[in-house]
Amino acid sequence: MLRKIVDLFTSLKLTIVCLAAGMALIFAGTLAQVHLGIHEAQQRYFQSMLVWWPAEGQSFKIPIFPGGHLIGAVLLVNLIATHTKRFRWAWKKLGIHLTHAGLIIMLAGGLFTDLFAVESHMRLERGDTKNYSEDQRHMELAVIDTADNDLDQVTAIPESVLRTGRTIDHWSLPFRIAVRNYYPNSRLQTLSQAGTGVRPIANQGPGAMIAVEAVPRTTAQDERDVPAAAIEILPKDGGSLGTWLVSDALGAPQTFSCCGRQWKIAMRTARYYKPYSVTLQKFTHEKYAGTEIPKNFASKVTLIDPERNVSRDVLIYMNHPLRYRGETFYQAGFQQDDRATILQVVHNPSFLAPYVACIIVAAGLLVQFGIHLVGFARKRRTATA
Amino acid sequence: MPHRRSTEIIWMKIRVVFLSLVVAALAACDNKSEIKVYRVSKAPLEEEAPGQQNAIPANAPSPSMPGGMAPTTTTASVRVPPNWEPQPLSQMRQASFLVKGDKGAIADISFVSLGASAGNVLENVNRWLSQIGQPPIDEQKLNQIAQKLSTSIGDVTVVDLVGLPNDADPNKDGRIIAATTTNGTSTLFFKIRGNATLTESQKSEFIKWLSAVCNAQITNKPAQSEAMLPPSGNPQIKWQAPSGWSEVPPSSMRYASFSAGANENKIDISVITFPGEGGSDADNVNRWRQQIGLPPMTPASIATQVSELKSPDTTFSVVDMAGANARTLAAWTRRDGHVWFIKATGPNTAVEKEKSNFVKFIQSVRF
Repeated sequence: MLRKIVDLFTSLKLTIVCLAAGMALIFAGTLAQVHLGIHEAQQRYFQSMLVWWPAEGQSFKIPIFPGGHLIGAVLLVNLIATHTKRFRWAWKKLGIHLTHAGLIIMLAGGLFTDLFAVESHMRLERGDTKNYSEDQRHMELAVIDTADNDLDQVTAIPESVLRTGRTIDHWSLPFRIAVRNYYPNSRLQTLSQAGTGVRPIANQGPGAMIAVEAVPRTTAQDERDVPAAAIEILPKDGGSLGTWLVSDALGAPQTFSCCGRQWKIAMRTARYYKPYSVTLQKFTHEKYAGTEIPKNFASKVTLIDPERNVSRDVLIYMNHPLRYRGETFYQAGFQQDDRATILQVVHNPSFLAPYVACIIVAAGLLVQFGIHLVGFARKRRTATA
Repeated sequence: MPHRRSTEIIWMKIRVVFLSLVVAALAACDNKSEIKVYRVSKAPLEEEAPGQQNAIPANAPSPSMPGGMAPTTTTASVRVPPNWEPQPLSQMRQASFLVKGDKGAIADISFVSLGASAGNVLENVNRWLSQIGQPPIDEQKLNQIAQKLSTSIGDVTVVDLVGLPNDADPNKDGRIIAATTTNGTSTLFFKIRGNATLTESQKSEFIKWLSAVCNAQITNKPAQSEAMLPPSGNPQIKWQAPSGWSEVPPSSMRYASFSAGANENKIDISVITFPGEGGSDADNVNRWRQQIGLPPMTPASIATQVSELKSPDTTFSVVDMAGANARTLAAWTRRDGHVWFIKATGPNTAVEKEKSNFVKFIQSVRF
């Protein structure tokens, strides 16, 4: 049995099947972007183990094709297993070994990037300072314990957990959070605007005067969903404090008291806090003379890191990102007649993998072809002699 | 030899299976579904260290710079010691200076004006202590070390703090002399931070300067109603807030928010407006009753509980509801296609104490 498994994972046929499946997946995923948008298509086709049909809105779903994670993982296993099984050290095979090692690093780097890289954005108006970036594609329910004088303790519950509809029981909270309603995308209206007969889904806070209407999820690249949920706060010693509506459309956090402490709750874009802050000093948007065609975007920012005693001005512009503490700040866009800049913040622990892999593969190919060239030249010289 | 060969094959198989499992586990990993817990500073916006003019924590309220408090009007007329070198201003700083001493010693002087909710004195003093690596203190200790300075806008609390954070340069750090005061619409911060000896030598000049800046504020202080103007685009009303109430930043659902009292006796006062009728009176009153643990009432019974209160431009309906632990005073009116709700909620005794202020507040509302 074990022998069959090893044979399967070390077979060349599996490599061919994976490469063919990868090509088919890329083709289908590219076409799907027309209707789903790039983000949703990436999620469903490439950042998944399986591609499902129908995707949502039906009571059933069946897997119809392996997803990007599965194909990539099998290909990586296939490559490593084959290399491990057939590895025999010889100088004349150095080029082959290097080339394969480069490919393994490339595939593993791709997998690590997909799993551990975090992309977020920092939006700054002139003079703004922020010590966090936000992921516009992911929301979180922030439950904030304000009891401490200096620090707020934030329990950030990802939207994906709310979506499951289960009751959340976490060690950091003296209460449970029961998700009574969840809307992946919604429109909020006051009850008077919504018309007669519409009931609120919450009985506490401003949500008690608001009607929530479910709307289809957006697939446009420049739009995002407005998720909403009704959550009931259930103290662990029994009872209920009521039901609150949470949505980032409500803006500021709502407050309540539980267990002698003041709490704040807010649905907001997922935040990634940093031990340093960034202040926008100036944003420049140059255009080619007489046209509206952009020539250059640049953000002059001040980076301040009290821990490392860093305080310096940095100019971020196209192809010249700021790299600091494992994060890279790219100039990504602007808003509000050039008054605000948008920086893309990328944390990718394996960002060097493609560079290293390319160098190793190139070195491997050079060595391999070099060995053949030298051998060929020797044979020719011998024949001539 | 055959035995050695079979052992190699077994080890090779184990390696292949182990690697397969590792890759499969990584591929199945989903780190975006974890509940995370972290702690963030709630300190108000202010600078961090000498020479770091814009070092401000971003998870704090937006800076407030009330009209009439621009640097040119508040500090330009105040005499500044000649050895204080003016520094470029940031959005946060209304005045900024650098003093240079012997052997590279420096001290940084700043004046910052923030909104009324920029933390209490103890919170700010403990934040300054943490900046120089010192442990926090309690209210009793604060009363021992704080000095009061009388100015035309009220008492200013002054503290003199000594400490050197780990790895800090003693030429640039080691002492903070800071002063703060609140005038209802804004909180003023004055700070000198730098080399301990140099800071000590500048103390008397610093105190004179901050007194002069405070005294200069009184002629430039905006009227209460101007400082509370809501964002453009909304219907606008004006009022006269009672002296004991402090305005807090409103949420997007609130037109304005106030708080009165402290700690267990704190009450929350909200002003909310919606287009349209805003539901029936009975529905609204029963919702408020439910929030403080009271059972619902019939519309006829509610009508008997509602009284009228006149303001110069309109008549408010008012209801007073008291539960076992909390009490709510609510007033509402409908005008020009909008409904306005003004509500005060808090502990029974605290609300009773503020009831007369609440009535005065309603009576002062002008459309």
